[in-house]
Formats: sequence, C-alpha cells, structure tokens
Amino acid sequence: MSEFVMVVIGGLAFGAIYALAAIGIVVIHKATKTVNFAHGGFVLFGAFAAYLVVVKLQWTYWAAYVIVPLLIGGIATVIELTILRPLRKADLFTVITATIFIGIGLSEIYRLSYNTEILAMPNPIPGRPFLIGDVILTREQIWVVAGAMISCLIGVLVFSHASMGRSMRAMASNVRGATLCGYSVNRVYALAWFVGGALAGLAGVFAGPSKGVSPELAVSMITAGFVAAVIGGFDSLRGALLGGLLLGLAETFAAAYVSSAMKNAVSFLLLFVVLLWRPEGLFSEGKGRDV
Amino acid sequence: MQDKRKHGCGWFKGRRTFLGAALAAATVFAAPGLHAQQGVTSGEIVIGALGPLTGPFAFIGAPGRDSIALAIEKINEAGGLNGRKLRLIFEHANTPAESVAAAKKLVEENKVFTLILASGSTGAAAAADYVRAAKIPTYNIYGATPIIRTPFAKNIFHSAIPGAEASGKSMIDEVFRAVPNAKKVGVLAGTYAFPQSHLKTIREQMAARAGVELVVEQFDAAARDFTAQLLSMARQKVEAVMILGSFTEAGFAIKQAPEKGLPATTTWVLDGSGVNDGIVAIVGGENTKYLHGYYNVPYFPTQVNDAPMAGFRKLWIGKYGNPPEGRPNLYDMVGYGSMYVLGQAIKNAGPNLTWDSLIASWEKLSDAKPSSMGGVDVIFPETFSATDHQGGRRLGSAAIVDGKWKVVR
Repeated sequence: MSEFVMVVIGGLAFGAIYALAAIGIVVIHKATKTVNFAHGGFVLFGAFAAYLVVVKLQWTYWAAYVIVPLLIGGIATVIELTILRPLRKADLFTVITATIFIGIGLSEIYRLSYNTEILAMPNPIPGRPFLIGDVILTREQIWVVAGAMISCLIGVLVFSHASMGRSMRAMASNVRGATLCGYSVNRVYALAWFVGGALAGLAGVFAGPSKGVSPELAVSMITAGFVAAVIGGFDSLRGALLGGLLLGLAETFAAAYVSSAMKNAVSFLLLFVVLLWRPEGLFSEGKGRDV
Repeated sequence: MQDKRKHGCGWFKGRRTFLGAALAAATVFAAPGLHAQQGVTSGEIVIGALGPLTGPFAFIGAPGRDSIALAIEKINEAGGLNGRKLRLIFEHANTPAESVAAAKKLVEENKVFTLILASGSTGAAAAADYVRAAKIPTYNIYGATPIIRTPFAKNIFHSAIPGAEASGKSMIDEVFRAVPNAKKVGVLAGTYAFPQSHLKTIREQMAARAGVELVVEQFDAAARDFTAQLLSMARQKVEAVMILGSFTEAGFAIKQAPEKGLPATTTWVLDGSGVNDGIVAIVGGENTKYLHGYYNVPYFPTQVNDAPMAGFRKLWIGKYGNPPEGRPNLYDMVGYGSMYVLGQAIKNAGPNLTWDSLIASWEKLSDAKPSSMGGVDVIFPETFSATDHQGGRRLGSAAIVDGKWKVVR
C-alpha cells in the first residue's frame, strides 16, 4: 500500500508539471488558434533562466518563480510581435510551421551557447523527507505538486474570470465578434503569448530540479504538454490540468507495474484511445449540437 | 595528327619514362604498406579524430576534440615531432553509422596518418571493424567496449580507460569495501554499449561470489525517471547499487531513490562516467556520503590543489578561456594525456614514419606520460607491449569529500 501511495505521489509530481506546460499551450491555442510547437523551447528557456537565477546569481527560488515567468512571457511576446504577427498575414499554417522552427531554434541557441551535457539545479526545498508510516514523502515532491497545481489554478482563474482573460475568451469564442466589440486582435494575441510563455517559464522552473536543464527537456515537455492538452481537450484549461495529471499518473503506473519501457508508450496509447473514443478530449468545453 | 608509336615515342619505348615508372613502382611496393605514409609530409603529420560534439554524449567528444587540440598546440610550440608539426582533423560522429562514416572519411578522403577514437564505447564499437580492416594505427582513448579490444588487432591501442573487466572488478571491490557482508547487490545499467559491456563482466564476476544475489534493472540513455527500476530494487531490499551510466542518469536515480522506498543509507557505486561533480548538484550535497566510485586518472578535475591539475587547468583556460560548468573533465584529461602518449610513440618511431614503424615504436612504450615531453601528468603512466595494447590499467578509488569528488586511493 505504501508503495502504491508513493507511486501516486510520484505520478502527481510529474503530472503537475505536464499540466502547467499543457495549460500554456491551451491558452495560446484558445486565444489565437495557433498550435504552439515552440512551447518546449519556452520551457527549456524557463528552466535555464531559473538555473541562472538560482545557481549563477545565487538568488532564492522565490526570485526565480517571480522573474522567470515574466522573462519568458516577454520573450514569447517579442516572438509574437516580430515573427508571428507578420506571418499571420499569410495564413495560420505558416504561423504554426514557424513555431516548429522557433522551437528548434530556441533549443539550438541554448545548445550552442551552453555546450554542456546538463545543468543541474539544487533541490528547491531541501531537508529530510517526511515519513508517514512506510510512505516516504520528499519536500520537493510536496512542493512541486502543490506549487505547480496552485500555478495551474491561478492560470485557469485568470483566463476564466479576470478582465485580462475576458478579452482572450472573447477572441477564442469569435474573432470577428470580439473585434466588433472593440477588442484589439494584436493586443489580445500579444497578451495570450505573454500568458502562455509565462506558464511555460514557470513549468521550466518546476521541471529544472527534477529533470535537469538540457535541450532534451524541450522535447520531453512539448510531447507531454501536447499529449496532456489533447487528452484533456485542446480548448479546455481545466481539461489540460486534468489531462496533465492523468498523463503523469498513467506514465508512472505503467513504469511501476508494467515496465519502464511502457512509460512513454502508455502516453501515446492514452492519446490514441482518447482520439478514437472521444476526439474532442475528455474534458472538452466545446458545445456540440445535433444536425 | 601524328602517331606517336610510329616515331618511337610510346610508353615503354622511352627509356627515361620506363625507368621513372619502374622506380615509382618499386618505391610504392617496397614500402611497408601501400598507404603507410599517408598523412605524413616533410613538415606535417595529420591526426584524425572522431567523437560526438552534440547530443547526449557531447560531454565525451567535445572535451576529446578540445584536449587533443590543446596537446597538439603545446607539442607544436615545443618544436613538433622530429621536425614535423601535428595537425588535427576532427569529425563529429554521434551514432554508430556516423562513427563508421567519419572513420572512413578521415582515412580515405582526409588521408590522416593515424586515427583517434574520441567517442564513447558506442562509436568505438561501430568503427572497430573498419579500423581493423583499414589497418591504420588507431588509438581508442575512451571506449571500454570489448568489441574494439577483441579480437586483438595489431593496429589498435587503448588509453586510460581499461577494458570493462578491470573497471567492473573495481566497482565490485568498492561495493564490498563499503558493505563487506552484502547479500543483495543491485545493478542499474544503461542499455547502451558502455554500461552493457560493464554489466556483462559484472554478472560473470559476481557469479563467482557465493551467496550474493544480483538484482539487475536497465534504463535507456538520458533517462530521468527511474520509478520502475528503483521500486524493483526497494522490493528486493538491495544493500548496495552499482550504477552503470552517466552522472546525470546516476544523479537522477539516486535523487529519486528515497521517493521510491530505498533507504537513505543505501550504498551507491558509480562507474567512471558517473564520477562527476555534476552529480553533487543533482543529488544534493547532504546526500553524497554513501557515493563511491573509481576514477581513470590520478586526480579529479577539481583537485586543483595538486600541482599537475593546477597546471593542466591553467593550460586549458589559456587556450579556451573560462570553462563552462563541468569542464575540463575526465575526457579532457584523458584526451590531453593520450595525445602526448601518441606523440611519444610518433617521436620514437623516428623520421622515417610509417604505420609499421609507429606500431613498433608504440609497442615499446613503457611508463609513457605527458611530462616526458614537457606536458603535465594528468593520466596514469601507460605501458604497451606487442601482445598487450592496453596502455592504462590503474584505477583510482574515488569518494566525495567536502562536496567534491576526490581520488582518495
């Protein structure tokens, strides 16, 4: 039983980070209809920025949790303004293709500027683990689950209830209608990229200590983020949150009780099952109608 | 148009031409090997090397390139070898296919005189058949794989990384030094070439120890999640775990271990690539008490209070500037030291440099070390013979002292 509980907590810790990455993808997609393949690159840059803040500048993790999302959100906004906005005049496909190469570019910039195997980050909450019966809980696990989940919920609440989110929701619902109501497409798109980038940066801060900072982080996070977003429903922030947790648990259970080789396979298996059985995702907010 | 044969100007009718051709043919066929002197001119010797410069194993190849170039620069500054300067051509090779292609390109297109395999076991294993067939003198400086060692090849030499038998034995010794009465020992092995060659010999050597059970779990390269493997170890209550993989893989496994139920007092024994200061940041300084390992060179890169390491670091920074995290590393030290050993073999071969003369000279090297040619001794001395091409055999015992690895024995 204690092993089962430890597996669940381990799965939730991975899942919370996946959820944070997935919510960023969904925010950008909902507001701009752009599938952002550069999201893994943003997570990588977030983790790298956290490394600079915590290891190089020797500031606290709290500084990283504040500075990094703002920084990565800013980078994402600059990319939207300088690269994607001009491309939008062509068509959406061009924009999506551009995000693929922006993602590759970000990874390569990191690789070229920091040619080392991996950058290790210290434990954000060091100290002895808690023992509850036979269950061992590390402080880092508790912090990652709690911190990432709180960040996800804040992201969901901002999008759902804050005035900033209203414009993005309006754009998500109907671009022409939102424009006629006075919302600026350019402003809303920039805002969506900022929020999405900030969430990716935050995911990087949480992922850095447990996965290390390396170009492989971009690949692993974009894959997990997309699978989580598709499972949850690409238009649903709550779905992305739950999809991330579900994916983390599924991967960890597969590794623990089937084999380590099944860890990656199970995520894609889950993806295909959801796409075949419920293509709109498990928690889609889209309104279907019978015709 | 005139017919040359009519006027007695045919190929074999001109005595001078015939003598010239005969002389050229005699020169070529009298030489010890058809390609024996490729890559050698009156003023230059071309050294070819290959290894991964990007990807998960860039921590091996990039230091290989940089350190060989550093040693070559210093050797050239000191006058070169028998009046000839050395020139390095380095080819990036990550996958087995790229390693074979890089070796072929260096030998057949670039016409290098000698080849250095600065890749890990994967690249060395892939290039093994080709370099055996090409007969080019080859220095395997990082690969522990038996594929490059067996069957024995007259043209292949090995540097400071000994065969898996020696390092596997060293790891087993470390386990039983830390836990003398261990009954269950775990092995966490990567699925790629180097860990697998280690795993094979560890299984064989442990089979000879009565009453000790071996629990083996495997993981893919660059793994970050070890849930399955660690749960298995915890279920079977292993007392010590040998990790066959890089320091990042080892670090994340050790960091995750308490979350999966392994006691904090579990002994961890790492292989040479796991013994890296980067692991301290991953597992946390407070969790390093039970980490052990072996090291292929007499100093850890951070042992800068020891004169040779201080000297080497100074040289490295002099050429490349302030190093990034984790550099210079083991592979910098071995690359640099190995280039000096090769330099000594080339020098001893004399001015009439051929593949055969180099191999003959190499096989006579005894206690070869960089300081013999003005370098700094950052590797154990290497000795070769006609029947044993493994230069370095000694391994140091390593532990973490004050948050940094040190070679303690």
